[in-house]
Amino acid sequence: MLVADFEVARREFSVRVDLHVPAGGRVALLGRSGAGKTTTVEALAGLLRLTRGEIRLGERRLSSAGFPAADLRPGRRGVGLLRQNPGLFPHLTVLQNIGYAPGVTPAAARVAGERLGLGALLGARPRGLSGGEAQRVSLARALQTKVDLLCLDEPFNSLDRPLSLELLDLLRRELEDSATAAILVTHQLEEAQAFAHRLAVLHRGQILQVGDPHELVLRPATREVAELVGYRGWLSSGSQTMALHPDRVYPVGAEAGGEISARVVQVVPQGARMELELEAEGRWRGRFRCRSDRSATIGELMWFAAPGAPVFATAEEPGTALSAG
Amino acid sequence: MTMHGAGVRVSTGAAVVGALIVWVALLGPLITLLAHLTPASVVSALSQPGAFQPLLTSVTASLVALAVILLLGTPLAYLMARGRLPFPRIWEAGVLLPLLTPPLVIGLLLIFMVGPATPIGAALSHLNLTASDTFFALVVAEIYESVPFYVLGAMAAFATVDPALEQAAALLGDGRWRTWRRVTAPLAAPGLANALAVTWARAMGAFGAVLIIAYHPFGLPMQIWVTLQETGLRSALPYALVLLVVALPLPVGAYLWSAHARRRL
Repeated sequence: MLVADFEVARREFSVRVDLHVPAGGRVALLGRSGAGKTTTVEALAGLLRLTRGEIRLGERRLSSAGFPAADLRPGRRGVGLLRQNPGLFPHLTVLQNIGYAPGVTPAAARVAGERLGLGALLGARPRGLSGGEAQRVSLARALQTKVDLLCLDEPFNSLDRPLSLELLDLLRRELEDSATAAILVTHQLEEAQAFAHRLAVLHRGQILQVGDPHELVLRPATREVAELVGYRGWLSSGSQTMALHPDRVYPVGAEAGGEISARVVQVVPQGARMELELEAEGRWRGRFRCRSDRSATIGELMWFAAPGAPVFATAEEPGTALSAG
Repeated sequence: MTMHGAGVRVSTGAAVVGALIVWVALLGPLITLLAHLTPASVVSALSQPGAFQPLLTSVTASLVALAVILLLGTPLAYLMARGRLPFPRIWEAGVLLPLLTPPLVIGLLLIFMVGPATPIGAALSHLNLTASDTFFALVVAEIYESVPFYVLGAMAAFATVDPALEQAAALLGDGRWRTWRRVTAPLAAPGLANALAVTWARAMGAFGAVLIIAYHPFGLPMQIWVTLQETGLRSALPYALVLLVVALPLPVGAYLWSAHARRRL
């Protein structure tokens, strides 16, 4: 069980984190660039000193602001860190890279490499590897260290999407097999949802909301969270703002209880469906987007329902949810 | 063929000829040396009694100097490369000073710094060391003349090692020393070898400071100087050849090895 409650000072703002991860649990830390995600995992991994609070993992205190001299150093904390830069040692072979951590036998490294489909590359040096292969080696190497918590700092972001999702899936299974807890840092909601049991939304150094990856998207607590989890439409009516998610707005007939009337402004194909850009002009006013199975003509007036769309008070920034669900 | 293509070809040809002239000019002294030596003159010079003593003196003094430089210069170069020292410019100036000071001046100042009549000289005498006309003095002079070449070279070598790799090693459980031994040193090794080779050549050939504080015991450069003064230019040439034969293989070998090692990374 990771219990982290700490603060790390940065130039523009302090990163304040209060995070609990049960043994074997997986948490995704979602936030924009510069929100403090990397700072958080670097502090967990022991690369940064805390300015307040402490980090405990199981029975051990890893870091504390009060007595930093007693901080456990990186590599002795039971915390691994996998980053976007695979950081392979160029003078060692793939096998030697995988078996780098003290106490890993060449036989164990070989098995780990083969498990991740690197059997044919074990004798090669990192220089000639593709991005995906290098990241696989880095992953195999990180999994060889017996850690209780693995921090993943957007490790597969430089890879193409199918490959990155495949590696993430592979990693999830490995973590399940070894009952290792993990924190995934990402700015992609789908990735976070595919990987984690719980989702924590970080914005300007603060965790705004923690929750079930699906529930949190349905019920964002604030407008910032709503923006971060994919709400794109903001309709106002008096002192209220309704947040609309393109996947949660449905075209309906006027007689079927549609509460939003809007005209089509633009139609753009998106994957197998169409994305409509709309201008609401009834009680709710503003622009929003909606995914639809059928196309529409520009200027057409349509009715929409958005069941359960969160409504925030417009005046308050950051807004508080008035109603959700 | 276009006019443009012909122009490129002519200018490339001119560049190659120019480079060739520079190369031959740089090798000129070596070619001249070999042209002026006959096998008989080498044999007769080296078969004189005590002919090998200067060689032995130079090699042992340079080896000791190299060991000291390696031991003290490596951590300094590493800390400087990683920016871990406060006031980095001042440290750099300290390393550059012996490089920018003429060797004769270094020798002169060393006399006033560590000579027998100075407090440091007095302290040294308690250790039975005298920094004037002794083997110890020769080593000191060689260190001062060659240490900047090592520290600056090693600094550049360490700067090529990505700190992210050292961090990766630490995250995988290595302490500082193990990280240094398993990641930093192997990755910097080609550059370190080059720096060490240049330093060796400078130490073997150290003359200016040596002339002033370590005239005795004769090292090879001193032997060349004395021979050419006493018996003329020609008789000094065999010793020049010996100096080159001993001083050059290490740098050449280190250069070839580091080029090979770099290709593998």
